[in-house]
Amino acid sequence: MLTKVYENLIVQTVCRIMVPFIQVYALYVIAHGHYSPGGGFQGGVILTASLALIFLAFGQGAVLGRITRRMSIILCGFGVFIYAGIGLLCLLLGGNFLDYSQLAPILGVSIPRARSLGILGVEVGVGLAVMAAMYSIILDIAGSPAPGIDQLTPESKK
Amino acid sequence: MNTFFLFVDLFLGFLVLGCLYRVVLGPTTIDRMIAVSAIGTKTLVILILIGFIFGRVEMFVDICTVYALLNFLGTLAATKYFEEKGKC
Repeated sequence: MLTKVYENLIVQTVCRIMVPFIQVYALYVIAHGHYSPGGGFQGGVILTASLALIFLAFGQGAVLGRITRRMSIILCGFGVFIYAGIGLLCLLLGGNFLDYSQLAPILGVSIPRARSLGILGVEVGVGLAVMAAMYSIILDIAGSPAPGIDQLTPESKK
Repeated sequence: MNTFFLFVDLFLGFLVLGCLYRVVLGPTTIDRMIAVSAIGTKTLVILILIGFIFGRVEMFVDICTVYALLNFLGTLAATKYFEEKGKC
């Protein structure tokens, strides 16, 4: 449990400088994923790395002030919703699951452009879901227990 | 030029063994953490040189950036855990 906070000027300054660059790089990895190594999963993991850096430097309170546990679960579900929503939209329009060429009439662009935009949308969804899931895993293995979690232990039933 | 890069790669791979010796037999935890960090830095250079050999540097630079980030983050997390436990 990494719950205690140690004030360290060097670590905190380095983290404060690095976190925005890490997040911009994560967005680059997500958006540029179909030309270079990377994609939704890797970009989501790098986004989580920036949150883990805040967690390590400023403690659990700083990171929970930005994204709460409840918000992380909501974001996870929303990412899966984007992914499955684009896939089912293609299904409803008469193609296969994730057949992006069916999106061309809706978006009003040519078919190759619609495929590129569809892949981008799916990767944004995957990135959000992975970021939120990894973040909640980090909170569970390293942070203090969630408020309601001790109600599940057998001792509290007595 | 590729042969030169290949030999630099092999030399760096040989140097990694020296750091690995320190990781396995390091007297204290701090020695091990520093040695792991040094291995990570050598891996960065090895990856970039492999990128030159394959002729796709722009792809390997992306991987290297993430690797450097995770190396930094791992060392920081290990140091934090070490600070929390408070003994070697």
